[in-house]
Amino acid sequence: MYKFKQIFRLDLMNLLTNPMWVFYAIGFPLALILVLGFLMSGSYGHTVTSYDYYGVALMIFGIFNAATFSANSIMEERIKSPNMRIVYSPVRPFYIHFSKVLASFVFCTAAYSLVAVLLHITVGINYGGADWWAALAIMLAGNFFFASLGVTVCCLLKNEGITNNILSTLFALFAILGGLFFPIDGLGKAISAISWLSPAKWMLAACFRIIYDGDFTLLAPLIGGLALLSALSVLLGARFFRGEDYI
Amino acid sequence: MQTIIEVNGLKKSYKDKEVIHGIGFTVNEGEILCFLGPNGAGKSTTINIITGALRFDGGSISYKGESIYSDLLGYKSRLGIVPQDLALYEDLTAERNVLFFASLYGLKGEALKEGCRFALEFTGLSDKAKDKVNTFSGGMKRRLNIACAIAHKPELLIMDEPTVGIDPQSRKHILEGVKQLRKQGMTILYTTHYMEEVEEISTRIIIMDLGNIIAEGTNESLKAGAESNDASAETVSLETVFLQLTGKSLRN
Repeated sequence: MYKFKQIFRLDLMNLLTNPMWVFYAIGFPLALILVLGFLMSGSYGHTVTSYDYYGVALMIFGIFNAATFSANSIMEERIKSPNMRIVYSPVRPFYIHFSKVLASFVFCTAAYSLVAVLLHITVGINYGGADWWAALAIMLAGNFFFASLGVTVCCLLKNEGITNNILSTLFALFAILGGLFFPIDGLGKAISAISWLSPAKWMLAACFRIIYDGDFTLLAPLIGGLALLSALSVLLGARFFRGEDYI
Repeated sequence: MQTIIEVNGLKKSYKDKEVIHGIGFTVNEGEILCFLGPNGAGKSTTINIITGALRFDGGSISYKGESIYSDLLGYKSRLGIVPQDLALYEDLTAERNVLFFASLYGLKGEALKEGCRFALEFTGLSDKAKDKVNTFSGGMKRRLNIACAIAHKPELLIMDEPTVGIDPQSRKHILEGVKQLRKQGMTILYTTHYMEEVEEISTRIIIMDLGNIIAEGTNESLKAGAESNDASAETVSLETVFLQLTGKSLRN
C-alpha cells in the first residue's frame, strides 16, 4: 500500500498543479453555468430557475469529463515518460492503472464540490436542501465511473488524443440526448423515450426528482448501475493495461 | 565472478517481424558490460526485456539461477534503470523526483532521505536539489535521470544510452560516475553508440547487429581479432572493429 500511496499522491498532484486542468475542472463549468443561467433566465420559471437547471445539468456534463482527466493522467505526453519509469519499478501494474482512476476521481470530486458550493452561495442554486447528500452520492458514483472509463478506453486505444476525441463526441451526444443543454421532454413522446438511452438523462432525472419531489426511487438503481459499470470498467482497464505500451 | 543474469535463446517479435533472433549471453557480477550496435540492432529491445518490463517470445532469462518471472517484483527491486528517454517529472524539483522514484523501491524515512542525498551528491546535483527540473540544462537532466536510478543502490544498473546529446563535461562526469559505481560493487549494463565511452569504461563488450550477437569479448580481444585483417594492434580502434563487423552502409 505504501507504493500505491506514493503513486496516487503524485498522480493527484500532477492534476492539481496543472493550471489548464484546474481551469477546465473549476473555471469552465462555473463560467458555463453562470453564462447559460443568465442568458436563459427568461425561459425558466421561479420554482426551477435557469441557474437551478444548468447548475445540475452542466455539473453532470462536467462529471462526464472526469474521463478526459483520467485519460490525460495515464497517457498525456508530459506524464508518459515518468510513467515509464514507474513501469520499470517493482510496482504491481494494477497500482499504476488504478491510481490514475482514483486520483482523477478525487480531483473531480473536489473541483465539482467547490463549484457547487460557490454556485449555491452566489446564485442560490438548489442542490436539494437537506437531501444534498443524495445529489452528492450521484456525483460521486458518476465521477468514479467516468474516471475509470477514461483510463480503460485509453488503455485499450493506447492513445490519449484518440480517446479524448471519441469520448468527447460520445459525451456531447449523451448530453444533448439527455437534455443537459436544454430540456428535450417537450419535443415529443418518442424523443423523450429515446432520451433514456443516455446516462445523462438518468442522472438528471434522478437529481431533479430528489431535489424537487423528494422522490428517491431512481437513486438506488442509478448508483447500483454506476457501481456495477465502474467495477467492470476497472477490471477491463486492468486487463487492457500493458506496461510495455509506455516503452 | 558470479553470473547474475543468464540469457538463453532470447527471441522477440513485433507483429510478425522477429527483431531478436535467439541470442544468449551472461552478465557477471561487478562488470561493466557494454552493448554496442548500430540503430535497429536490438540493443534497447534486449535491455528492455532484461528489465522485466517487456515480454519476449522465446528463450529464458534467469537471475542467479531463477527465472526472473518466478519473483518479478523482487527481481525488479534489484535493478536500477536509466532509460534512453528522460523519465522525469519536469514540474517537480530534482529532490522530489528522486524521493518519489526511490520510494517505489520500498525506501522510507531516513533510508529514503539518505538514498536521495547519495544520488544527488553522486550526480553533482546537491546544490540544485530544490530546483524544478524544467529549469535544468540537458546535461543536468541526464544526470538526474541517473540519480533517480541509483538512490536505492541497485545490484544491477541498466543504462540505455545515458549520455545522448550532452556536453563533454557532463559526459565525463557520468563516465567517471559509472566507474565509481562499479568500484562500489554495482554491476552495470551499458548501451551506447559512442566507441570512446566503451573503450573507457567497459570490462566486456557485446556487439549486436540485426537482432544477433556478432561479437563478444574485451576491448583488447576484439581489437586483436581485427588486427590480423586490417593493421597492427596500435592502429586498430574499436570503431574499426565495429565497422568491420557491421559494415559501412548507412542504417535507417
